[in-house]
Amino acid sequence: MQYRLGLDLGSTTAKAVVLGPDNRIVASVVRESGYDLKTAAEYLWQEAARLAGVNGDLPCVATGYGRALASMAKRTATEITCHARGICFLHPDAAAIVDMGGQDAKVIRLGAAGRVEEFAMNDRCAAGAGVFLDLVARRFQRSLAELSHLPQVEKAPEISSTCAVFAETEIVGLLASGQPAEAVLVGTHRALARRVAALCRQIRLASPLYFSGGVALNETMRRELSAVLGMPVLRAEHAQLTAAIGAALLAGET
Amino acid sequence: MNTPQAAVGDYQSLPVDAVGITTTVPVEVIFAAGRYPVDLNNLFISAPDPAALTAEGEASGFPQNCCAWVKGIYAARALYGISEVVGVTEGDCSDTGALLDVWRSEGVKVHEFGFPRSREPEELRQRLRRLAGEFGVDLSAAEEMKQRLDEIRALAQQADMLMAGGAEISSQELFAALMWCTDFLAAPERCRRKLSALLADIKRRPPAAPRLRLACAGVPPVFSDLWETVEALGGRIVLHEIPRQFALVDGIGQNLVSAYLGYAYPYTWEARLSNLLAAAQARQVAGIIHYAQTFCYRHIHDRLLRARAGVPVLTLEADLPVKVDARTRTRLEAFLEQWHDRRQS
Repeated sequence: MQYRLGLDLGSTTAKAVVLGPDNRIVASVVRESGYDLKTAAEYLWQEAARLAGVNGDLPCVATGYGRALASMAKRTATEITCHARGICFLHPDAAAIVDMGGQDAKVIRLGAAGRVEEFAMNDRCAAGAGVFLDLVARRFQRSLAELSHLPQVEKAPEISSTCAVFAETEIVGLLASGQPAEAVLVGTHRALARRVAALCRQIRLASPLYFSGGVALNETMRRELSAVLGMPVLRAEHAQLTAAIGAALLAGET
Repeated sequence: MNTPQAAVGDYQSLPVDAVGITTTVPVEVIFAAGRYPVDLNNLFISAPDPAALTAEGEASGFPQNCCAWVKGIYAARALYGISEVVGVTEGDCSDTGALLDVWRSEGVKVHEFGFPRSREPEELRQRLRRLAGEFGVDLSAAEEMKQRLDEIRALAQQADMLMAGGAEISSQELFAALMWCTDFLAAPERCRRKLSALLADIKRRPPAAPRLRLACAGVPPVFSDLWETVEALGGRIVLHEIPRQFALVDGIGQNLVSAYLGYAYPYTWEARLSNLLAAAQARQVAGIIHYAQTFCYRHIHDRLLRARAGVPVLTLEADLPVKVDARTRTRLEAFLEQWHDRRQS
């Protein structure tokens, strides 16, 4: 088995992972996708190879929204297939995945050997995705890292809107009515968790359930999701890289 | 007229005495009266710029969160100058009821037709009589027309059966063949010729190469290129649930009441589901794409379909008549990758 490269050209961040002959991660790169995903792909390809200390053409599979723009990839695969492969490689006991990325959320029920049995994706609305948390963080003048460890709040205010834009208006209204910022922030995470939980109910969710994607780095979100679903939600190892890892695994198979 | 959606509305020219229909209605009555039904949905989606028609519907006052088909057929009627319509008020969505109110207010002559939820033969017969009365014809004339139109429906049925049996016919070709039978292109003889030519062509083709056999449940998708996208990914829609219902292929040879009672679309979900599952099983489909129009109440049925489908279900929705977007494409690709993975493992 040789070195292989997985590229995940996501809507917000682009990721690359190089797996070594023993399936160990020998290099990984994360950068903002920007508007030019083709350039992002070129950069990741070269930088990942440099960090891994390998020369020549690495067998590569690309995934993510920009997958078709990765000319160095010998094939493409969807994020759904790649997340499934990646998570099963990292956590062989996984039965289901919740992935929350920049623009969308996905839930996947897994079969044997990382096979996708069933999946669902949120629809065209940012209120189920990481970009919404970006918006919220900016509104509260906090970093995403600061949102990650919000205190437990039993009675957080309700954010009822299903639209990110209207939800922001609701947040402004709540703050104007004197609600504490921490409580509004927890309420926002809870509302997001409810939307993703509704998505989870579209498939036959199974346990253990692993949480991946950039939003999985947010501990508040993991906690709220677990509370809404009434089941443990486990943060995946290398949560932001699981699709790129899955793509690298596929590059070794084809 | 070379885009895929254009094929469904391949009208040579619209007759001056055309009668618009908002969905499938007993068109036999309209033909028997010497008039020509035109499916406004086909007219809308095959227009040179259907998105402009939905925008026009919105600009005229239809809410943004209202079905694009309703907005589109509203504007299509005006664009093509159709002054009389038959609208379905029972067995279709309540948006259509409001659309008919708007048309009446604009001076359009509106006939209402409802498929009785009770599915009682006598009730349906009464409603057919009332519609026939409004068009000044006797039901017996409509029954005769049914026999003539059934000969054309039988051609669409042949195409459907050929697809079921593995003939080389594309998802789009079968879709168009079935959709032509909603109004027979307002020119039954031309419709017959087109179907006959398609069948002759299919029979000359070698058998289809293996593809993933899928069903598409739900109303006709508003996407302009869904069928080609599915085919490009290695799939084939071998069962178009609602278009097959629209074409009334299961009611060939039956009288009007029996045929329109067997037409599952306007009645209960259970009626639709049992018809869909039987047809899907007969065609040995590997999965079902469930399409529901954005803002449509039929989304609620999704859970009921998933509970009983017995095969994987992919739910898709779209709002406006545009090409398949990146997110929908990802869903389709992932859906098809599931089988690719299974074959490899």
